[in-house]
Amino acid sequence: MNITFSATHVIKRYGGVVALADGNLSVRSGEVLALMGANGSGKSTLSKIITGVVAPDAGQLLLDGQPIRFSSPQMARAHGIAAVYQELSLIPDLTVAENIWLAHEPTRLGRVDTRAITRRTTALLELFRGTIQPGLQPDTAVGDLPPDERQIVEILKTLAWEPRLIILDEATASLDTQQVNRLCELIADWKARDMAIVMVSHRMEEVFRLADRATVLRSGAYVGDVATAETSEAALVQMMIEGGVSPRQATTPNPGAIAVRAELDNIHTRTLHGVSLTINAGEILGLGGLGGQGQPDVLLALFGAIPYRGTISLDGAPVRFRHPHQAMQRRLAYVPGDRGREGLLANRSILENLQLPSWSRYGWFTRMRQAHADGEAVAKTLRLVRDSLRAPASSLSGGNAQKLVLGKWLLRDPNVLLLNDPTKGIDVGAKGEFYRLLTELRNQGVAIVLYSSDDDELLGLCDRVLVMRDGQISATLQGPTLTRTALVSASMSAAQAEVA
Amino acid sequence: MKRFTLNPVVIALLLAAGLFALGGVIRPGFANYTLALNILRLAAFLAIVAAGQTLVVISGGEGIDLSVGAVVTLGAILVFRIANGSNALLLPALALALLVGALIGAINGVGITLLRVPPLVMTLGMTGVVGGLILVITQGRLVGAPAPALNALVSRPLVFGIPGVVLLWLVLGGLMWVLLERTVYGKQLFAIGMNRTTARLSGVRVPLVVIATYALSSMLAALGGVVLLGYTQNVFLNLGAPYTLPSIAAVVVGGTLIAGGMGSYWGTMAGALVLTILTSLLTALTLPESARQIIYGLTLLALLAVYGRERGLRQ
Repeated sequence: MNITFSATHVIKRYGGVVALADGNLSVRSGEVLALMGANGSGKSTLSKIITGVVAPDAGQLLLDGQPIRFSSPQMARAHGIAAVYQELSLIPDLTVAENIWLAHEPTRLGRVDTRAITRRTTALLELFRGTIQPGLQPDTAVGDLPPDERQIVEILKTLAWEPRLIILDEATASLDTQQVNRLCELIADWKARDMAIVMVSHRMEEVFRLADRATVLRSGAYVGDVATAETSEAALVQMMIEGGVSPRQATTPNPGAIAVRAELDNIHTRTLHGVSLTINAGEILGLGGLGGQGQPDVLLALFGAIPYRGTISLDGAPVRFRHPHQAMQRRLAYVPGDRGREGLLANRSILENLQLPSWSRYGWFTRMRQAHADGEAVAKTLRLVRDSLRAPASSLSGGNAQKLVLGKWLLRDPNVLLLNDPTKGIDVGAKGEFYRLLTELRNQGVAIVLYSSDDDELLGLCDRVLVMRDGQISATLQGPTLTRTALVSASMSAAQAEVA
Repeated sequence: MKRFTLNPVVIALLLAAGLFALGGVIRPGFANYTLALNILRLAAFLAIVAAGQTLVVISGGEGIDLSVGAVVTLGAILVFRIANGSNALLLPALALALLVGALIGAINGVGITLLRVPPLVMTLGMTGVVGGLILVITQGRLVGAPAPALNALVSRPLVFGIPGVVLLWLVLGGLMWVLLERTVYGKQLFAIGMNRTTARLSGVRVPLVVIATYALSSMLAALGGVVLLGYTQNVFLNLGAPYTLPSIAAVVVGGTLIAGGMGSYWGTMAGALVLTILTSLLTALTLPESARQIIYGLTLLALLAVYGRERGLRQ
């Protein structure tokens, strides 16, 4: 049962982007280690390398003193290493028991032993009894479960592999207090039974409650290890950011008078729980915080793409958009984060991508020459690197494809621009050009709302940043309070007073 | 992207020419002007029905219209009964047939978008409904007469012995090009076929475009039925059924992506020619019916397999 595991100088690159420059971590039986870091610090990459999901480019993994390379998660599991991920891996149409035992069903005489499966699933469910509905049985379909119980099934599924080293990646995100408490008891129990536990968590209170030690990463590199008994929340935040000083270049305030362009009042959606904010003309408003705190829903509700409760007003008058085309008529524009799935028509031409929202301007019998000329003009503003506007959008590089997604709105002269993590996965050069475009638009008086998972982007580009946590705004940072320290600590701590 | 690829329309046209020449070699006398004109005329009926099918397949979302055959029959029967041999009543009868067709298609579209019935199931169900509707209209007795003008349009040679229906087909080809390449509807149709989320987030009202597409498909099927009536001079309950599957085959042979978002009506026109020539050739070979069907099916499979390799499905 005993295990020691370490990773030293692990490196992982994705194309030109270095996700992990120097990953180090060690953990042994009977220990709870917290793996910590701000957005983009490489902690997910490191945990994926440990569990064999991703193969490292360089570095060494040692298991019980022996060098090892995992070629797949199956191989890692065979060595007793398994992870609970926040992206749910359950199949909705299968039952709880079928999901938990998928691919390692207990067998008897070569046939799946359904009785053993039911018995062992019931035993697993007992671990969480009292915090889950009595109706949750081995034969319940996973699709019928609420998110918290799915997360519990996910934990049990990992547990069914009887791992020696278990990795909990934000496993508490969708659990209620009772369930979190039960999980904490279980973790203490696993620890007593000589399991090793690595928890990737953003919640300071859980880290201090459970972990013996914390390993901190910053920008893909190892910063240090610290015993939780000998540190404080503030000291950990300091380790996660570069010395606590913000290298932010002060953005020049926009000379134009600030006019309120849009107001959201007490907006509720599936992930938002009462969000109120104002959006000003000539301002870049940042939405920050950790991933999955409801930031995209702010943009989508405003753009009329999802249903919501609450009031949205535009230029002082209440509006209720039920479809993006209504929002577009009021000169709103939305740039999605997932280009391939939501922003592009991959096999259609660049021109058709650019003009998709605007074809109706070119008359009954589309004036193609005009449409093409307008497309060329925008491509020039964007400095779009392309063969010809007739080439398919899929021929563009990531950065140019993202410019294209922005470009289709420039043709419509928007006055509210909503951006959903637009620079994810594009290279530094293209990012710079994208920032230049945004700053130009802001100076022309466009109201820009930017959700970004990149803290540097928020610090360097925004006039004001709202930090979101659990579907609510947990802090407003502006002027002197807009610092890296404030941004990171507002993202991580539950109780954060409004700093205005 | 510098890979050498042949335009699917060109492939289909070359194939049509090749099959025609092959017919001339195997069976001297196959490749003559009169027979060529007859093939064009037969291909026109198929291609008019397949025009709507092209739109439906381009619209994506597993788009397919299995009700075209039934609507062809309905269109023919309506004109047969209402015009009843009178040229004066032909236009009102035609208008009514097109309207009823559009209505049926709109119902398909509403079922597919608002009720989320898969297109295959929705249009298959509609085939049954239209079949029942035909029985209600006819009361089991197919009374009426073809309008003489209709027969003249389809069969009488207009220029160089080319029958009117072929010219009508060419006009339709031009209109379809305008519809697909030079109207907002066409641009949005390709967009929803390629990626419905992107289309919606760019302001396209996806359900409206889908409903319009199925309405157009049934309307064109009804038109196909009326034109077919000019050729057959008579109606029967099974008139349109043989057009359903070939209309889909013509679209795919013409290079339109079955997954949607890419394609053209030129391709479908070429596809209809390929299928019609193949059928005529097999008929000319005086093989037994069973052998003809097997060869026809195998040829289709071979064609589609080659296309799958050539173009690939999306991504």
